[in-house]
Amino acid sequence: MNAELQSILALVVVAIAATALVVRLVKKRKNPGCGGECACPTDDLKVRIRRG
Amino acid sequence: MVGNPNCGKSTLFNALTGLKQKVGNYPGVTVEKKVGTTYSQHGQPITVIDLPGTYSLAARSPDEAVTRDVLLGRRADTPMPDRILCILDATNLERNLYLLHQILDLGRPVIVVLNMMDLAAQAGLNIRVARLEHELGVPVIPCEAVHGKGLVELRVAMSRLEIPLARHAWDVPAAIAPAISELQASLVANDGKSPLIARAEALLLLTDQDSVRVAGSVPLHAKTHEILQAWQKRWEGEGTDWAATLVNSRYDAIGTIAAEVVLAAGETGPTRSDKIDAVVTHPIWGWAILGAIMTAMFVSIFTLAEYPMNFIDEHVAALADFVKSSMAEGDLRDLITDGAIAGVGGVIIFLPQILILFFFIGLLESTGYMARAAFIMDRLMSRVGLNGKSFIPLLSSYACAIPGIMATRTIEQPKDRLVTILVAPLMSCSARLPVYLLMIAALVPGDRVPVMTKVGIMLAMYALGTFGAFGFAWLFKRTLLRGAPPLMIMELPPYHFPRFRDVLLHMVERGWIFLRRAGTVILAISIVLWFLSAYPKSPDATASEQLAQSFAGRAGHVLEPVIEPLGFNWQVGIGLISSFAAREVFVSTMGVVFNAESDEEDTTPLRDAMLNAQWPDGSPLFTPLTCISLMVFYVFAMQCISTIAIVRRETNSWRWPLFQIGYMTGTAWIVSFIVYQAGRALGFQ
Repeated sequence: MNAELQSILALVVVAIAATALVVRLVKKRKNPGCGGECACPTDDLKVRIRRG
Repeated sequence: MVGNPNCGKSTLFNALTGLKQKVGNYPGVTVEKKVGTTYSQHGQPITVIDLPGTYSLAARSPDEAVTRDVLLGRRADTPMPDRILCILDATNLERNLYLLHQILDLGRPVIVVLNMMDLAAQAGLNIRVARLEHELGVPVIPCEAVHGKGLVELRVAMSRLEIPLARHAWDVPAAIAPAISELQASLVANDGKSPLIARAEALLLLTDQDSVRVAGSVPLHAKTHEILQAWQKRWEGEGTDWAATLVNSRYDAIGTIAAEVVLAAGETGPTRSDKIDAVVTHPIWGWAILGAIMTAMFVSIFTLAEYPMNFIDEHVAALADFVKSSMAEGDLRDLITDGAIAGVGGVIIFLPQILILFFFIGLLESTGYMARAAFIMDRLMSRVGLNGKSFIPLLSSYACAIPGIMATRTIEQPKDRLVTILVAPLMSCSARLPVYLLMIAALVPGDRVPVMTKVGIMLAMYALGTFGAFGFAWLFKRTLLRGAPPLMIMELPPYHFPRFRDVLLHMVERGWIFLRRAGTVILAISIVLWFLSAYPKSPDATASEQLAQSFAGRAGHVLEPVIEPLGFNWQVGIGLISSFAAREVFVSTMGVVFNAESDEEDTTPLRDAMLNAQWPDGSPLFTPLTCISLMVFYVFAMQCISTIAIVRRETNSWRWPLFQIGYMTGTAWIVSFIVYQAGRALGFQ
């Protein structure tokens, strides 16, 4: 793969990553909050633990 | 479903509804509304509402007010339930009966669930279920929700077409009877209540003068208000506390039922939990034990994680070298090695330490020790004016400020809640852990120092955040948000042998979330950051010059004059800017920045690259003093977009999150400045 093609592909990947971040930032979440990315156990896990 | 806090209500709700749950908010108020679906024995769907836990219908917080309003039919958004499942903790029956007694006044179909029957038996209590059923006249189902026992019987009871109404009666003092009758009549005539609901509400209004009102609650008719005020005025004039008399007569009725129903096996002395608590919650030994547990946790984090961390480190470097050797030179190769692998690899190296941290947290929660830690800390917290109920939000904030801030909803006083929200992000969250670990690795590299030195530094950072939070709470309670600290009553659950399955499940889930975050958000940020550090291209420039002239380099240079007094250069500045998204992004940024700057073909471990970094005059960039200054900065700085968004939502204004950014970032700068400049003045490097 030559350098020019590598540059084009790299910029495409960067554009995809940047778009994903922007979409994530502006997207209205159904259940606002940590979105499962903080330390609280997810609702699914709570149910599994409580069911034993 | 209604019951006291910690009676196992949510466990039962989950057991009945499984994953068929919807979680939202009651309109206009930040109280969680949990609705689920279960099925009768005939397969008919039954909608179950899990109401917030409360000790009585006399509401003291928005959560409790919602429970009261739903049961009294005061909320337009939630119809009065057809049937009420009242969950009682069998180990504390007399206390739990107060709420049930008020609910039975409503004259609605009630099913009583006696939960935790196994624990009651272990405590030597013999609960006469049939006798309780006879006394109350409503179905009583013994249950162990955690083990799924009693669920079939409960489902059968819920499936009954008719549920008998309570036979319960209690002697209201004769002097109060006219007030109840008059209020009841007005509630029926003016507020459209049924006679029994009206009587229950009249009893409540006469005893609950400081009631909390929340949005969405239908207000009382003016005429009813007038009658209530007239009676209260009359009683004040007479100098008689009829409200207290009414409450006492209810307690008398409850005492009679409890004496009939609960048989204790012989003389009950202190339980095993009581004996342990005599030491664990001792004013001196309690602190010593808490300190020992924290030290053991951090020692484990540093010692046990070493081998898996080295393993990950070597494999990340090997992967980057493999890509470099397999691909021709070019931007895509640099993006993969210097952006994606360096950024993500720099963060996932901390996975073993994150797993160990959450294993310990799970262990402490599972044994019941966390409630003891809350009890010990409450002594300190009440001295700085923090509400005792602030402890759980602050404790949650050690993991992440977001659930901590959301947990403040249980705090009754708006000012206390706001103070807790403002200081919660100062507790060192798990996102700070990678930053601290990286700095400690750079500060005390290799095996030259004992592990206790690293543990000591880590404990100092956690202590700094904690005492910083207490200090600001003290300040806010005396300036912006004045108010007396209310008393806290908390329940210490009995000690349990830890359930390792649950602890491991929580730990694995945390590990997966950490990896998923590294593979999504941090990967995307690392890729964008690589672009910002590689463009615009400067032909013939060295790697260092290229980074300096890049978009990221220029941003770092703009910030440099502000952060130079703290011991940071423009490269650290890039990390400070990017980690505003999330604190751990600082680590991936350092990975991208120092790999982008390296001219070497082989991948250098981040710690070594940072140790080799220099100021233009050739002096080392990451000196011990700089590392301490940077850690202190991260202890105080508000570097988290998600937390800002949650504070905005919970306070319903931009004023408080902006204030929070200002005071936290300002403090971070000032304290780092003092640490760095004072350290230099004292001859430290």
